[in-house]
Amino acid sequence: MIIKVNNLVKRYDELIALDHFNLEVREGEIFGLLGPNGSGKTTAINCILSLLKYDKGTIEIYGRPMAPDAYDIKRNIGIIMQNVAVFDELTVYENIDYFCGMYIFDKQRRRELVEEAIEFVELDSFRKFLPKKLSGGLLRRLNIACGIAHRPKLIILDEPTVAVDPQSRRKILEGIRKLNEEGATIVYTSHYMEEVEEICTRIAIMDKGKVIASGTKDELKGMINSGEKLTVEILEFNPNILEGVGSLPSIVSVDYNENNNMLVAKSRRGKNNLSALLEYLRNNQINVGRIYSEPPTLNDVFLEITGKELRDHV
Amino acid sequence: MQVYKALFKVIEKNLPQIIIYLIVFIGVAVGLSNAGGNPADMNFTATKVSIAFINYDKSALAEGLENYLSKNTNMIDIPDDNEKLQDALFFREIEYIIRVPKGFGENLMMGKAVELEKTAIPGSVSEVYLDNIINKYINTANIYISNMEGLSDKQLADFVEKDLEQKAEVRLNRKIEEVSRSQKVGIHFNYMAYSLFAVLILGVSTVMLVFQDKDLKNRNLCSPMTIRSMNTQLILGNLTYAVLAWLIMTLPGFFMFGSFMLTAKGMLFLLNSLIFSLTALSISFLVSILVKGPGAVSAAANVISLGTSFISGSMVPQELLGNTVLTIGSFTPNYWYVKSNNAIAGMADVTLKNIMPIFYNMLIVIGFAIASLAIALVVSKQKRIG
Ligand SMILES: Nc1ncnc2c1ncn2[C@@H]1O[C@H](COP(=O)(O)OP(=O)(O)OP(=O)(O)O)[C@@H](O)[C@H]1O
Ligand SMILES: [Mg+2]
Repeated sequence: MIIKVNNLVKRYDELIALDHFNLEVREGEIFGLLGPNGSGKTTAINCILSLLKYDKGTIEIYGRPMAPDAYDIKRNIGIIMQNVAVFDELTVYENIDYFCGMYIFDKQRRRELVEEAIEFVELDSFRKFLPKKLSGGLLRRLNIACGIAHRPKLIILDEPTVAVDPQSRRKILEGIRKLNEEGATIVYTSHYMEEVEEICTRIAIMDKGKVIASGTKDELKGMINSGEKLTVEILEFNPNILEGVGSLPSIVSVDYNENNNMLVAKSRRGKNNLSALLEYLRNNQINVGRIYSEPPTLNDVFLEITGKELRDHV
Repeated sequence: MQVYKALFKVIEKNLPQIIIYLIVFIGVAVGLSNAGGNPADMNFTATKVSIAFINYDKSALAEGLENYLSKNTNMIDIPDDNEKLQDALFFREIEYIIRVPKGFGENLMMGKAVELEKTAIPGSVSEVYLDNIINKYINTANIYISNMEGLSDKQLADFVEKDLEQKAEVRLNRKIEEVSRSQKVGIHFNYMAYSLFAVLILGVSTVMLVFQDKDLKNRNLCSPMTIRSMNTQLILGNLTYAVLAWLIMTLPGFFMFGSFMLTAKGMLFLLNSLIFSLTALSISFLVSILVKGPGAVSAAANVISLGTSFISGSMVPQELLGNTVLTIGSFTPNYWYVKSNNAIAGMADVTLKNIMPIFYNMLIVIGFAIASLAIALVVSKQKRIG
């Protein structure tokens, strides 16, 4: 076990930011911590890093208790904070060199590592730039380079793609995957479920300071009752259709959007749900245009457990 | 030494603002040294110092002293009224007031220590000059008293008078030239308090603001660098900066006053300003904890350096400031620093007795350093808890 967090409680006066929070991160995985804004992701990360005092619970990293003076543990962690933490007075190169230099003392080796990090985040043509001159996406990439240049075995990224253009976002996600392939264990927090679904091997979903579900994305989706979302284009609509589809045993809920003529039906978990719907439509001689079937998303998981949309908070 | 190096890069980026203060300092320093005549040309025997002599002792020795002083100074008749005397001193009608208390002659005859009450423009050439000639009178009297028994005070006064008439005042004149030269150096160093303070607050606060930034601080805390190492590097960096700033600030002095800076007095000026720099450094630490944002830093640098310098005599001589102002000023290290400079400038001889008050002032200046460090520690601890 790389990280093991047990019953962590953190309060800010009245507010309970972490409420018996549990977490286990295994070697070699890309672990996603998914939760809406304010759910406690950053608080959890800061406690894990011993930046915050907590009221209860235990934290172990590499099997040893984490503490502010656990410098040998810190040596093997790379951290990318949610808020970009770089020196405005130092150039891109100098910033990466500064942070790398806190871990790597050999100058020659450090020079190589800094070069590799610059190449990794593709900031080569900006190496002499001051952070103020970088766009949001480039600044995030600098922040990442500062965190990974020393080649840590464990990399923690707290919302590294917030306010980033799609191109930089792609690069960041690809980069994380690459770091993982090269052997690093990754902890990745985000409130973008698509990102987490895309790159994480295991996911914990957080809400109000608690982990409400965790597992692989298939395991998570297996926990809930909803199955695919079925979308059918029907041009000649009448309300009877809604009633008829709704009464099908495999359908949980159904809705019709008059603006784009789409009927949206949520199916129960199970097999052959699309066939049942199509059979009903054919039997009643209803003409259909386009048809989509989408597997359940993490949003559906979140929705079913908490009764609210994860997306709403994005 | 990542932190140490980064600290200097931060300072480097803020150098233009710091250099402005340096340029102003050098400009003013050169301006000050050219103002007024060349001290070497001053002829002190030609321009007699005006003094008030108030005598409550009717002994022959007191009269002898009056007689002796009247030959070497320009005695102005002013009644013994405090307000009138202060006014006369302020408007430079007189530069020195001497009160001979009752029993002066008697005490002198008995070999007791005699106290003459004096008021003078501190650190002025005239003060030194008069201290010197008065001491000479008393010392000469003492020599006769201890070597010839049974002299009446009248006889003694005659001996002393004759004795002093024969001695040329050559040695004293040379002293006065030297004093008036060191007075210029004193003015230079007094003004330096302002520039040093500004440059230190500016540099130290800017640096500390960067390293105290919450995000950057947290990020640093994630690294395997120990907090102790980080703090040591920060302190070392700021100390280096302070000493560098001091060295650069003393350079114009070497150019303008040359070998004087290597004399005992020159060294005292340098030591005094070094101690002041270190105190300004620790006050800058405190300021850096209290200010928020770079705008506040340059405002604080301006207000604090200018304010303390003004009320403590760095710019306007202390004797021209009112008592209230000086009392307030004495709550700043600048006041004691300036006081020391004035004392060094006015010193005729570098003797232990003359230096002691200066060391005492230096201790007070160091006290300010310790006090502000202590406050800084308490405040930063309070902040961490809050
Ligand atoms: N220093 C603080 N004092 C008081 N409350 C705080 C403090 N820091 C965070 N909180 C509160 O704790 C809760 C969790 O915040 P946290 O920043 O951990 O959430 P998050 O999941 O990281 O959110 P985001 O996606 O916005 O980064 C929030 O309700 C927040 O308002
Ligand atoms: Mg957060």
